[in-house]
Amino acid sequence: MADLLGANGTREKFRVVGKPNIPGLTSYALATGVAKFGADYIAPDMLFAKILRSPYAHARVLNVDFSEALKIPGVVDVIFWTDPIFKGIAPNPIGGAAGDYLRNEAHHEGAEVAAVVVAESEGLCDEALNALKVDWEQLPFIVDIEKGSDPALPAIRGPEYDESGTYGPPMTTADGIAWMATHYPDDPRKQGNVGWSTKTEGDMEAGWKAADFTLEYDVNLHDVVSLLPNPQASVAWWTENAYKSGETLRIEGAVGRRGAVATMYGLPNDNVIQEGVFQGGKYCDWGLRMAQEITPLLSKKLGRPVRCCNTREENFDMCVNERRAHVKLGVTNEGLITAVDDSSLIDHGAPNSSEMTVYDRDWNGYYTLKCENITQLYTVVDSNRGFMHTCGQFVPYSWDMITVGLYLIAEKFGKDPTEIARLNLHGPDSQRDLNLVPSFEKCLEEGKKEMNWNWHAAGTKRLPDGRLHGASFRYQMCPRHAFLSYFTKLEYRGGVVHFPTQGPVAGWFGTECFTMIAAEELGLNFEDIVVDYDYRAEHTDEAGGSDGVTGHGWIVKECANLLKKRILEAVIADTLVTTSRFGPMEFPKAPSPFAGYSAEDLDLMNGCVIVKAKPEISVPLAQACTATVTADYGGNSPKSAWATQFGRKLDTMNTSWCEVAVDIETGEVEILKYLVVADVGKVIRRTSLESQIDQVVFFSQGAQLLEEYILDPATGVKLNANMLDYRRPTTLDVPLVSKDILETRAGDGAYGASGISHNLANSHLIITAIHNATGVWVDPPATPDRMIAALAKGGKL
Amino acid sequence: MPNQPTRATLQSASEQAAAALAAMPLRPEVVSCPLCSRQFLTYSELSEHYAADHADSVAPAAITLNVNGKTCELIIEPYLTLKQVLQFHLGLIGAKEMCDRGACGSCTVIINGKPALSCNLLAAECEGKSIETVEGIAVNPRWRPLIDQYCKWDAMQCGYCTPGFLVSAKALLDRNPTPTEYEINDALSGNICICGTQPRHSQAILEAVKLMAAEVSENG
Repeated sequence: MADLLGANGTREKFRVVGKPNIPGLTSYALATGVAKFGADYIAPDMLFAKILRSPYAHARVLNVDFSEALKIPGVVDVIFWTDPIFKGIAPNPIGGAAGDYLRNEAHHEGAEVAAVVVAESEGLCDEALNALKVDWEQLPFIVDIEKGSDPALPAIRGPEYDESGTYGPPMTTADGIAWMATHYPDDPRKQGNVGWSTKTEGDMEAGWKAADFTLEYDVNLHDVVSLLPNPQASVAWWTENAYKSGETLRIEGAVGRRGAVATMYGLPNDNVIQEGVFQGGKYCDWGLRMAQEITPLLSKKLGRPVRCCNTREENFDMCVNERRAHVKLGVTNEGLITAVDDSSLIDHGAPNSSEMTVYDRDWNGYYTLKCENITQLYTVVDSNRGFMHTCGQFVPYSWDMITVGLYLIAEKFGKDPTEIARLNLHGPDSQRDLNLVPSFEKCLEEGKKEMNWNWHAAGTKRLPDGRLHGASFRYQMCPRHAFLSYFTKLEYRGGVVHFPTQGPVAGWFGTECFTMIAAEELGLNFEDIVVDYDYRAEHTDEAGGSDGVTGHGWIVKECANLLKKRILEAVIADTLVTTSRFGPMEFPKAPSPFAGYSAEDLDLMNGCVIVKAKPEISVPLAQACTATVTADYGGNSPKSAWATQFGRKLDTMNTSWCEVAVDIETGEVEILKYLVVADVGKVIRRTSLESQIDQVVFFSQGAQLLEEYILDPATGVKLNANMLDYRRPTTLDVPLVSKDILETRAGDGAYGASGISHNLANSHLIITAIHNATGVWVDPPATPDRMIAALAKGGKL
Repeated sequence: MPNQPTRATLQSASEQAAAALAAMPLRPEVVSCPLCSRQFLTYSELSEHYAADHADSVAPAAITLNVNGKTCELIIEPYLTLKQVLQFHLGLIGAKEMCDRGACGSCTVIINGKPALSCNLLAAECEGKSIETVEGIAVNPRWRPLIDQYCKWDAMQCGYCTPGFLVSAKALLDRNPTPTEYEINDALSGNICICGTQPRHSQAILEAVKLMAAEVSENG
C-alpha cells in the first residue's frame, strides 16, 4: 500500500517525532520497582521446583536413589525423566528440543537432566537435590573445538540429538538434508562431530589472478555469555478461563512466548493467560529456559501453582559462540580486494543450539565489498562447551574479519584505513554499484572531524605520559529487520485513540516510537494515545531493536493514516457533534460545523478536527467524532531491500572510531575515546538511539577487554559462571562515548528512518586500535596478562 | 484483565508502590509450618510442632523488621535472606535478584542509611535496623525529581536492574547532595547493568541534583 498522505520522506515539520526526553511508557513502573518480572510472581499455595543439573560436561544418568530426598519434610515430589508427563510434549517452536522433554543425558556442565524436585521452598529444593544419590556415567566430551574438529573422533551425541537447531536448518534430518542440499549443494555430509558448510561465489581463480599479492591472517573470536539480567523463571497454574471454555493455563514469566507455550501444551492461544509484559533484557537470546517451560507440567501433576527460577549460574548460556577464522585476501597494489577465502572453525555447542552461525554467511562484511569472488568454508564442531540460544548477536562478529583485513591492507601501504575502506566499499544497489553510499562520506567526514583524525602507522605514536597511542576505524551497514512483515491495529473509541499491544517490554522502547509516530500522523500529542498492554493483542514489539522499530514504524504510520481517514469519514457521516469535551457521553448535541464538507476537506491537528482551508473551523476530536473506528494494517515497509538479498544492498550506515592508550609496563588498555557516527535516517526517539549505541559499545568493551568464558580443559566444567569472575564493565569502566547522529532520511522506515544497527557491536575495533598502538595482535579479551604475553611474544617489551 | 498498566506515570507508580507498602502484613495472618503447611494460632504452637514433628529441621524464628518505617512481625526460616523475606513474606519486589552473591547491586536496599545488598544479608540479622527499599523512596515526594530524571533520560532499558541503581543513587545523595560525575560513577560501580546504560545514570542524577537544589532554594 502506498503512503497514504505522502508523509514519508517528505514531511518537514514534526510535532512529536524527535521530541526529546519523553519518558518510556513503563519507565516509572520500572524505576520504582513495581514492574513485575517472571521471578517476581507469587501465587497462593505455591510450590517451588528445581531441576537436577549435570556436574559433568557430558554424562548420562543411569539411576537416581531419591529415598533420602523424599524423607526431608517439605519435599513434595521427585519426578524423573521416565515420568509420562515428559512424553508427548511438543517442542516449543523457539529453541525447543524435539523428543522427550526431559532426558537422562546432559551435554554440558550445568545442563538440566533427569530429575526435578518439588518442595515447599527453594531452600528445601536445594536440600532435596543434595540428597539425591545419582549414578552418573561420564561420557567423552569436547570443549576444545580445535581438537574436536577431527572427523575421526567418535561422535559425542547420538543421531537423536541431531534434530533442528534453534533457528536454523537441521544438518542431519531428512528435511534438513534436503534444505542444505538445495541451498548448499556442495556441502559434505557430517562426519563424527564435524559438519561442513561451504559457499563459493564469483570466480575465485580470476580473483586470485587479479591480485598482486595475498594477505593471510587469523581472527579469533571468543565466546561471549548472554548474561540475561533477570533470572529466567516462571510460575504456572491451571485455572478457569473467564471467556474461553476448556483447560486454561496461567503462566507468568515466559514473557512474549505465550504462543510457544500454547504450542508446547497443545492449547489454543486463548487458553493461555500471561499478563506480565516485562521480559527483561534479551540481546537476541530469544530461547526459553526449561525453568520457563516446565512449570505447567508440574502444576498439572501436583495440583498447585509451581514456581521454577534459575540462578545466575543456571542462566550462564552463550550469546556468541567461538569462531576461529583464517582469512586469505587477494589484493591489488592499489589496495583493492579481489578475492576472499575464509576458513572458519565454529563451535556448534550443545544440541539444539542456534545454528545462525552455520548458515547466515550472507550477513557478513565481505558482501559490502566490491569484490565478488568469495569462498567460505565453515567447519562446525559439536561440543559440550555450552548452549547457545537463538541469537542474532553473532552477526556483529561476522564483520571483524573485514575490519581487520582493511586495517592490514592500510598498514601494508602506510595508508589511512578510511581510504582503503572507500576504495573497497560498493554502492547501495549491488556489489557492482560503484557509487558509494552517500551517508558513508557523511559519516566519514563527521567522524574525522570529531576524532581529529590523524592516522599513524602501528607503534609510532607515544602519548606525553609515555603510553602508546592507537586508533582504529570501521564502517558498517545494517542488515535491517525491515524485511519482516508487521501488523498493527489502532482503535478510536470513547473519544480516545487506543494502541493495543502485547509488548513485551524488553528495553528498546519500540512502543514509545510507534506511539510517537501514530500521534504525529493523527495530529495528537504523545500523551493523548492510550497504550493498552494486553497479552491478547496481535501487535508485538518484537522485531529486532531499533532496526525493527523502523520497519514496523512504517506499518504504524500507515495504520494511523487509515484510522485518520476513517475518523474523518465518521465525522462527516455524523451531522451532530457532542458538546462535551469528554467525548461521546450523554450531553446535548449541536449541529456539526463540518456539514457540507467532505472527509478530504478535513484534517486532524492538535487534537482537533479542522477544515484544512479554514482552520478556524475546529472541534476537539472527542466532540467531533463519537463513533468507534478501527484500523489495522500489516505487511512490509516499501523496498525492504534486505528481503531480496541479504548483504548486497546497503542502506543504514555508520562508522565507529576508537582511540586507546596502552601501558606496556602494566599491560593496561584504556579507551580514550569511542565515537559512533550513525546515519539513522530520521530520529524518532533520540534517547532510544543513544541507548542502543551505549549498549553496543558496552558489549564491545566487555567482549574485547574483560569477558572470558573459561572451561577447564580437563573436566569441561565452567570455571567462571558467575558475575564475580565473569567481568562486565561498570560505571567506572565505560569510556566516554561520543555520538553523532545524522539524519539523511535515506532509510525505508517511517520518515526515512533506518535505525541503529546492532551490528555496531564489534569485537575487534578495540583490538585493532591496540595493534595500531603496539604493533602486536592480542586475542580478546585484552586483559593485562594477555597484553603482557602478546607484547613479550612480539618482542615489544 | 489485563491488569498491566496502560501507561505508568510517576503518580501511578508511586501509588502502586504505596499500595505495596500498605499491603505489607504487620504480622502473619496465619502461622503455618513451612515444611508441612499445617496451620497454628501462635508461634509457640508452631515451635512445639517443630519440636515434636520436625526435630531435625531448623525451626522458624520470630523476628521484627522495620521496613520503610513500618514495623512488621515475621515468622521466617532463619536462613532466609532479606531479599527473600522482602519478596515472599512482605510482597515487596523492588529489590531484584540477579547474581545472588553480592556482585551486581540489583537487590540494593538502604540499611541504617547505608546501601546494602539484600541477597547477601540474612533477614534475621536486620532486626532492629531501619530498612529502606525502592518502594519507600518511590512514595517520598522528595525523590520525585530523581525518579523523573531517570525516566526522562532513559537511565534504563529492560529496567530490571534500575531499582537497585536508584537506591544506590538515593543513598549517595543522602550523604552527598552535590556529587560530581566521578563520585556518581564511583557510587554506582557496584551496580551492574547488562543493557549498557552505565553512562546514562550520571546524566540523570546530575539533572536531578539541579532540580532538587532548585526545589530546596524555592522552599527556602
